[in-house]
Amino acid sequence: MAERDLQEVLPKLKSSHSYQESLSLLSKAKIALLKLNALTPQPTTPSSILLAAREVFEAGALLSIRAKDPDAFTRYVHQLTPFYELPPERLSAANSEKNKITGLYLLLLLTQGNYSGFHTELEGLELRQNGGLVEDDRFLGYPIKLERWLMEGSYDLVWKAMASREVPSEEYGVFSEILTSQIRNEIASCSETAYPSLPISSTKNLLFLDSEGAVVSFAQSRGWAIKDGRIYFPNQVKMGVDEGNEKALSQMVIENTLGYARELETIV
Amino acid sequence: MPGKTPHTNGSNPVENGINGADDVEMKDDAPNQLKGGKGKKTKEGDEEMTVVVPPSKSTKLSATPPSKDSNGDVAMDGTEETNEEDAGAPKVDPVAKAISDIKSNFPLLERAVTLFDARFSLRALRSISSIRKRLTPDILAQVIAETYQSTSPAAKSLLVALDREHVAFGKSVSNEMEIDNESKAKNGKKEPKEIIPEVDIFLGILIQIYYLDNKLNQKGAVFSAHLAERIHSLNRRTLDSLSARVYFYYSLFCEQLAPLPPSPSSPVVSIRPALLSALRTAVLRKDIDTQSTVIVLLLRNYLSTSHIAQADLLISHTKFPENAANNQVARYLYYLGRIRAIQLRYTEAHEHLTAATRKAPSSPSAAGFSQTATKLLLVVELLMGDIPDRATFRIPSLERALQPYLQLVQAVRVGLLGEFENVIRQHGDTFRRDGTYTLILRLRQNVIKTGIRMMSLSYSRISLRDICIRLKLESEESAEYIVAKAIRDGVIEASLDRERGFMKSKEVGDVYATREPGEAFHDRIRACLALHDESVKAMRFPMNQHRLELKNAQEAREREREMAKEIQDGDLDEDDLGGEFEGM
Repeated sequence: MAERDLQEVLPKLKSSHSYQESLSLLSKAKIALLKLNALTPQPTTPSSILLAAREVFEAGALLSIRAKDPDAFTRYVHQLTPFYELPPERLSAANSEKNKITGLYLLLLLTQGNYSGFHTELEGLELRQNGGLVEDDRFLGYPIKLERWLMEGSYDLVWKAMASREVPSEEYGVFSEILTSQIRNEIASCSETAYPSLPISSTKNLLFLDSEGAVVSFAQSRGWAIKDGRIYFPNQVKMGVDEGNEKALSQMVIENTLGYARELETIV
Repeated sequence: MPGKTPHTNGSNPVENGINGADDVEMKDDAPNQLKGGKGKKTKEGDEEMTVVVPPSKSTKLSATPPSKDSNGDVAMDGTEETNEEDAGAPKVDPVAKAISDIKSNFPLLERAVTLFDARFSLRALRSISSIRKRLTPDILAQVIAETYQSTSPAAKSLLVALDREHVAFGKSVSNEMEIDNESKAKNGKKEPKEIIPEVDIFLGILIQIYYLDNKLNQKGAVFSAHLAERIHSLNRRTLDSLSARVYFYYSLFCEQLAPLPPSPSSPVVSIRPALLSALRTAVLRKDIDTQSTVIVLLLRNYLSTSHIAQADLLISHTKFPENAANNQVARYLYYLGRIRAIQLRYTEAHEHLTAATRKAPSSPSAAGFSQTATKLLLVVELLMGDIPDRATFRIPSLERALQPYLQLVQAVRVGLLGEFENVIRQHGDTFRRDGTYTLILRLRQNVIKTGIRMMSLSYSRISLRDICIRLKLESEESAEYIVAKAIRDGVIEASLDRERGFMKSKEVGDVYATREPGEAFHDRIRACLALHDESVKAMRFPMNQHRLELKNAQEAREREREMAKEIQDGDLDEDDLGGEFEGM
């Protein structure tokens, strides 16, 4: 009976476009899965149910991305993982949104600054992708390239990748906004140390801002001084910090030396 | 000779005196005693720890009557020595020799049980490597037939595993009589005694090894599963080191079965529950050998299917036993380093991997481990921004294996992006096989940073266009952002001029004005102190030695007192003498 429910709900879920409606459909589908004991794949679960379960979770994952709910998305990804690891003879990989969802998950980790999670996930992909490079995949290659550029510092390439329609699907666009503000902050902190001063007009290009007015407000939010159409960055060298360092340094040296003395005493 | 009791050998000083090799063997044994499970690093060599016990100590050790250890040592030497004599005699049949070699281990196992000392079973395990080459089902079957009574169910199951269930139990015994009457007599005496489970398991391990060497993986896996079940039902501390071995081969079989590890349906996945329950039991029984082995096996298992998150969880939920065998510690550190490297925790990874390479056995049969560990260590060092020592690449055992890595290091050191990508293209498959590919891809930014640093050191002012051309970057804008990031990250000391488009380097400060030398010094001292502590811990002192010393001290004190007395008397004498002299 629950199986029939599930089969009824699925096509509706795929065609529905309103968030509220999909949400209620999803919870219905999940209850049906629970009755079938198929929320996680059991050795006895038939393939058809596995397939249906996977589709439900994939729909849920994409929906939560559109609704900008990262927690729900992460939950769905974790629920999907055991399904993706099933051998192909039990659950065929065809029609699966696996790469799209994994790519989105990678992007999410990237925007959260969770680099160790990102690389852990990537390491797994590298091995499980039988044949064919991970980077060549349309969905997976995108976050990987972004990460590489971010680490290098080629922010203009990141910007271009997001601005031009290289984004592999609409769901990926959700992250663009977060990424933009993230790289803008990165660039700002780099500029603070790298340039003694900058003209406002070129700062506009540097920070990918739309107008000079936006530059001025951004400068103010970061506490930069503006004089004669140039931005002056507050001087980074703070004497107070150095003094504190000096004190900490000598304290460390003393501690170390005392430590050596103690150790030597135990040895001799 | 198998049947000889330790007692006769131990109290036979003439035999030991004659044999010149005896001392060497003693020394050989000593380090093994220090580190319990050494023999467990599979069949590959054992002697890597150079903890030297001064020879005077060991002689003292054998001189003190209460020390059982020394007694055992001497006995062991005795048997080995007679075995050598056997080998020397040309007419001895190699089959009979193999059989007697295998059987010579049974008294050791029995002694391990009666004395409750794991070292004897370890010694039995160590002898496997010499027996290994000669194993055939016939030899094993004969040993089983001679050891057990025909009604024993254990013998039956072992024989079935060998496809030799019809071996006659009686005949072989007489066969052995021809070879050696004396041992037969001893065996005859032992016959009514119950065969201890340790012997069962030992023979089981031998069968496992036979399967492994002959690539009978499917059979081996099934047999191992049975063996593991049997071990699980027995709760004997003297079985610990043996059961660790059983699990080791069990997981080795599974790794080599049909769908190889990276695929999710590999049998590797299906033995996880068995291993986890073995781990739980081992922890509850405080069975250090099995515990450490199984943890390492599980880590290897998870990493083979790259379930890094699970491996990380396993590490955080278990505690690796502190006094585990050295080889297991080395492996554990290697896997730990690998996981940390993937998680971008390079400092920790570096620490673990350095320890792993240092603990790796130096014998040539274990070269594979140190090669793999060194490869990973090199990549991690590069990722940390260090350039590995050139001498590492000249070590003969590593030289060939590290060739691709040498080219990689050279590309990173010079900071040439083109060359770096060339190396990746050229050796991509090697890196993939070594499991370092994704880590190496992360090096790209390091190459760029090194390139920028080189330029900032050599030019006081350089235009962004030149930087762009030198590093083969896509645009000047990229170059600008990259340089700005490098400045922010403290890679170079410089400033940018956007209007005129150049990078201006600042004067390089004196390194000795910074805290860097102090830190390097501190690191080295700490390493030395840790080494000292470890060697102190690794030393093994004879039991009750301190009492002897106390006694000595007491004697010395008495002697001193006497001496003082004498001196007092002497003083008097002197005075007397002096008096006389004066008188004269």
